[in-house]
Amino acid sequence: MTPIEIISRKLRIAGILVILGLIVEIISLVWNHPLSFMAFLLVGGLFLAAGMVTYVLDLVFPSAVYGEKAESK
Amino acid sequence: MPTALLLTMLGVTIVLIIVVITVRGVMVSRAGKLLAFIALFVFPGAAVFFGTTEHIERSKQTSFCLSCHIMQPYGRSLLLDDQSHIPAAHFENSRIPRDHACYTCHTNYTIYGTAKDKFRGLRHAYKYYIGHPANPIKLYEPFNNRECLHCHSGARSFEEQAAHSDPDTMKQIKSNELSCLTCHTTIHDASNLDHLKFWRPPSNDTH
Repeated sequence: MTPIEIISRKLRIAGILVILGLIVEIISLVWNHPLSFMAFLLVGGLFLAAGMVTYVLDLVFPSAVYGEKAESK
Repeated sequence: MPTALLLTMLGVTIVLIIVVITVRGVMVSRAGKLLAFIALFVFPGAAVFFGTTEHIERSKQTSFCLSCHIMQPYGRSLLLDDQSHIPAAHFENSRIPRDHACYTCHTNYTIYGTAKDKFRGLRHAYKYYIGHPANPIKLYEPFNNRECLHCHSGARSFEEQAAHSDPDTMKQIKSNELSCLTCHTTIHDASNLDHLKFWRPPSNDTH
């Protein structure tokens, strides 16, 4: 797997997690219910945080990923 | 931020993310990296901020509080046909904004208060859906005069009222040593609603 493919794969994972979080956020804003805030914070927030952290980690530690991959080859 | 604008922003963010994750080699160019950063970090961060603000604002609405069935008797007590009931007198005469009636007099309640209060709010949701909520419900702390004084303090009708005119009494009221509820005792009479008469708002009143 080339470095570009690794980045693309991690970007896809981060993107899908963030999209899931945003979809939960949209539903919670449309759904007028006491639990909508909980859904927004606990479910949407978790997906968003997971996606954003995945993306940021990929930005901060890209060399580590390439290093590990190079070693495994 | 209006809900429609927030929803639009969320939609645009989703579209941007789809572009970022589907276009091959987007992270190669500087512009692509910037787009990815905006789509995956800046916009979602803003969405969390504005979404939280929107949810907190929404939770101040009377309809939000009354959406839990345990709160419904307290909501009904706002429409009692007896002006000696303080909440009803305030609600019916629009002395408080009707769409924010609960929040106006309970400003430190659960989500609006400190971190400790926010955890209480989470516990309420847990008890409501999974456990057994207390019946009747009670305030965690004695009602604070601050809730009355943020409107009444300085008002001529309050300051010059005979019962308040004694300087010592006024001092005690303003320092919360003497509760307003000591004299104004008739508040939410939720347990006796079946025996009381209700006021019917005019049909063109949307609240």
